[in-house]
Amino acid sequence: MKKLTALFLTLALVLTSVAAFAATPVAATELAYKGTLKIMHFSTSEESEGNGGSDGFRTTLAAWKAAHPEITLEENVLANAEYKTTIAQYAGAQDLPDVYLLQGMNTIAWADKNALDLTEIIKASPYYADYNTAYFTPFTVDGKIYGYPVLTGGTCTVVIYDKAMWAEAGFETFPGTWEEVEQAAEYFSGKGIDAIAFGNGGKWQMNSDFISTLGNRYTGPDWFASLIAKSGAAFTDEAFVAALKETKHLFNETKIFNDDFNVVTNEDAREYFISGDAAAMIGGNWDEAYIWQVLKDTNEEKFNNIGFAVLPQPADATFAPDSQNIGLGYAVAINPKVAEDPDKLAAAIDLAQELTGPAFSTFVAENYALGGLTSAGDVDLSKFDAITAAFYNWSYVDTSTCEIYDSYISSAVWDVFNTEVQAMLNGEMEPEQVAADTQAAYEANY
Amino acid sequence: MLQSVKPRRWVVVLYLLIPVALFIFSVFVPLLTALYFSFFEWKNGQSIYTATYNGLTNYKQLIADPIFWQSFGNNIYLVVACIIGQIGLAFVLVLFANSKLAVGKAVHRTFGFFPSTISAVCIGLIWSIIFHSKYGLLNWFVVNVLGGTKQAWLGDSSHVMLYVSIPLIWQFIGYYMVILFSAIAGIDQQIFESAEIDGANGFQTAIHITLPMIRSTMLVCLTLCVAGNMKAFDSIWTMTAGGPGYASYVMALYGYTVSFQQSNMGYGSAISIGIFVLSLLVIGGSRLLVNRMTRGLEE
Repeated sequence: MKKLTALFLTLALVLTSVAAFAATPVAATELAYKGTLKIMHFSTSEESEGNGGSDGFRTTLAAWKAAHPEITLEENVLANAEYKTTIAQYAGAQDLPDVYLLQGMNTIAWADKNALDLTEIIKASPYYADYNTAYFTPFTVDGKIYGYPVLTGGTCTVVIYDKAMWAEAGFETFPGTWEEVEQAAEYFSGKGIDAIAFGNGGKWQMNSDFISTLGNRYTGPDWFASLIAKSGAAFTDEAFVAALKETKHLFNETKIFNDDFNVVTNEDAREYFISGDAAAMIGGNWDEAYIWQVLKDTNEEKFNNIGFAVLPQPADATFAPDSQNIGLGYAVAINPKVAEDPDKLAAAIDLAQELTGPAFSTFVAENYALGGLTSAGDVDLSKFDAITAAFYNWSYVDTSTCEIYDSYISSAVWDVFNTEVQAMLNGEMEPEQVAADTQAAYEANY
Repeated sequence: MLQSVKPRRWVVVLYLLIPVALFIFSVFVPLLTALYFSFFEWKNGQSIYTATYNGLTNYKQLIADPIFWQSFGNNIYLVVACIIGQIGLAFVLVLFANSKLAVGKAVHRTFGFFPSTISAVCIGLIWSIIFHSKYGLLNWFVVNVLGGTKQAWLGDSSHVMLYVSIPLIWQFIGYYMVILFSAIAGIDQQIFESAEIDGANGFQTAIHITLPMIRSTMLVCLTLCVAGNMKAFDSIWTMTAGGPGYASYVMALYGYTVSFQQSNMGYGSAISIGIFVLSLLVIGGSRLLVNRMTRGLEE
């Protein structure tokens, strides 16, 4: 009987282990390090519900933990907003965890002091041939790479609209120009609803989810590349000021958006869309994931009517009318202090490689039709519902891409910009003043 | 007998040592380190060990910083609004609750005090929902009872300071009520009875008897109110994050933003010292002012 019980328990243990590995087969590399490895991230369990990137991160992390029982992985998991503040405090005190997520805009400031140069290590990675090397750009300074881009390459600016509502307003597809959106807004206004919901209460949304793409339509990609490289472009350049003027016009002088756009957040804006108080919303891939999840379970008709579009093109803009900003805003970075212990460093590198490697990419491709740093080959869209497939095609096939502004430069610059843009959209500041103040912050901090 | 229970001097010193050490560690050490860091350029995630000494540069920047002074102005607005709203209203409510006609004094005290036990972040969230432009209670009242139109209350830069003051007043009115209740309870009832016999009405009694007799308690309330509002942060951060633009920035919020969102610890430390100095001046100034104003009343 004892033998039978022991056999049963052993079998159960083996099956459990197999099941865990089957979910995300991380490479169980033999590691010499036996001790504690500290990691800090923001993929909370709440965040991971319906969010492919976070779910994939947590799943891969759990699989790595299971594959390396000799290492005690100490996780410090915070919500994204708290994470940004806390990690900056730790960086200031030179007290960062062994492994953490580096935001693109902090790369220059934190390079070498807080983030280890990983250039040669990354090039030696067994997955290097499958990496989408374009994702390394925000984490590269003077040719040196400081992190493994992590999570999923999702858009930050997508118009999510209700096809039936816009068809009622006379538009079979989402309008391609803002003038047409203004006409539709008249119709929706008569029905007591907003044409497009937007939430800028957190101040960052207007930057990440709107101006980053609209600005590219006016300036083209070279302007921002020059701004990053400090090779001549300025926030006060005419084309960028024109983008700010157009933004102010759209939010302050038309009836397109909800009146409270400067108070509510993107979380409120997507509820306006879900409840039918708005015919569309502008947000990021995280908003799409939430809307998909909620409508799938609660409103099949509205779910089937979800459509995706790029920002309409302003009349005086001359660049890429089909562009949207997409990329990986964070990278797995390693505290330079870890390099003092070569075994610990090998463990940290292995963790970083697996969190961004094929285990993660396969998981998000198969479960969410999303992509990460490592290519997982062609995604079989036939396994997904029509909305997921449409969003995949919209994100990766049918549109052109541009940069996410706040993945670069410095938080000191963007904080000034974001705050003053909020005042500008309330009609209290002129675009020229916002541009001048942002340029001053850029010159002082970058 | 008394000698036998009197503790020895070293026992007293030892017992006092622990709280004094904790006080020094949690109050003076951070203040002194902030003062030290304020003389450095320490930003962009740089280590303090590599920060550059820059003398009075941060203070020169502070004096010329319009956002800091706008934030200070907003703190003064809060102080004035809360002195009137918290202490003033609390005094009036205490007089009503203390009148012979009032019933359920204990209930008034309990329910009045209740909001001050809620965390400031929860207060901010509760009032964000009340002020919510589409689903908020206030707009429901404006539309359905007053027949008006919906407003984006917290998006109105001109009045946003008033709107963020209301939750602070609501939260602490009961706190001051409890303090004033106990102060008024200490006044000899015969004085009020004499005044009544002499024909003094409620207003005259409040101004000429109650107020002078609780003058020192009022000064304590005033100090607490000024100090509390000079460091206001949490509920405003939850409701508006200082917006729209800089419209509801207060000094602590600006210091936090500069230190942690702009990663500029050196200048953030200078702002903290600025807050400390200005708070001392405002608290001292207000006490002096009230002392002078009430000297006549006491005589």
